[in-house]
Amino acid sequence: MTKHNDDQNALKNSQPPHLCQDYVSTRKRAPSKPLIELASSLADLRGPVFGHDSIKPEDGDLTKQHSGDPLGERIIVTGKVFDDDGRPVSGALIEIWQANAAGRYRHKNDNHPAPLDPNFTGCGRVLTDNEGRYIFASIKPGAYPWKNHENAWRPAHIHFSLFGAGILSRLVTQMYFPGDPLLAFDPIYNSIPSQNARQRLISTFDWQTTKPEHALGYRFDIVLRGTKSTPMETTHP
Amino acid sequence: MKLIPTSSQTVGPFFSIGLAPLYQNAAAEASNKTLTLAGKIFDGDRQPVPDAVLEFWSGDSFARVSTSEDGSYSAVLELSLANSAAASSDVLIFMRGLLKPVRTRVYFGDFDAVKNNPELKAVPGERIGTLLARKAPAPYRYGWDVFMQGDSETVFFHF
Repeated sequence: MTKHNDDQNALKNSQPPHLCQDYVSTRKRAPSKPLIELASSLADLRGPVFGHDSIKPEDGDLTKQHSGDPLGERIIVTGKVFDDDGRPVSGALIEIWQANAAGRYRHKNDNHPAPLDPNFTGCGRVLTDNEGRYIFASIKPGAYPWKNHENAWRPAHIHFSLFGAGILSRLVTQMYFPGDPLLAFDPIYNSIPSQNARQRLISTFDWQTTKPEHALGYRFDIVLRGTKSTPMETTHP
Repeated sequence: MKLIPTSSQTVGPFFSIGLAPLYQNAAAEASNKTLTLAGKIFDGDRQPVPDAVLEFWSGDSFARVSTSEDGSYSAVLELSLANSAAASSDVLIFMRGLLKPVRTRVYFGDFDAVKNNPELKAVPGERIGTLLARKAPAPYRYGWDVFMQGDSETVFFHF
């Protein structure tokens, strides 16, 4: 196998397929017909550009959005956002959302009988700085049960949404925590064929950003597709 | 070799906590400079999808909206989209059950203009209609439904 093919396979296996039988919701929602190549499929479309005026300081600190402190283990999540040439992406909007420490989302359809925390909404947004860096303060989300299969539990995770330079770099993903025993059983995490790629969704514990007497640091770096990328898949999944 | 991009994961059912409606160079409210596009998203059982988020990427303008309990959405877009036969907006759709977004496009021209668009020559003729917004009776109002699967499945593009 040539190096080019190896690279293509690594790229293809880094993304989940649309249809993943173990993740039951995909069965009625994944496209069933082949995706179609558009002449301009690879052309990037400029996306929205966000200014600092659209972000409030407390948007990046999920522990400071209410009058009291949320319950749970305080964490600081930092990382850098790169494009696929390894260049930092500055001014990227990152939006996050997560469950509270008990594993409950502040959402009307979350019926998990775990307590809501009046001091925690679970929503944050920041822009990356000139070196592509970002920082959030939050609390560690709890695992929560879902109905996908018997005794199904999602590993603790934080949802990340990113806007880079254009439509090709649009990414929604989830950040996991190191050492979580639920990862091995999670069909969403395991939908990604490549083990290397999967493991990159697991943040690493970071002494450097851990604050004494205050919060544990986790690091999560993100790579966005660039403006002249090869397609994510060249054949129908 | 380039760096491998970070893997996609689903937005899940509770994305509305983090992904609020978002407009840029587009008005959130309908006016005489906007058109309103509305419709529903259906799954493979023709059930409405109440937990989807749609992003309309068209030139400099951007709009992000979510579906309601009945699977319906409504987005206010730039009126210039309606002004030429080839006018269109690219659309990304995210939902619980999609591990990565689907990309499609909605055209505002008439059927023949869209059918003859050379860019769409790879689209089977009988599926072209899935990319076409319907002109509604009210001025500047269009309808466009999305079918995730089945005979009337919307055309989705490589992304």
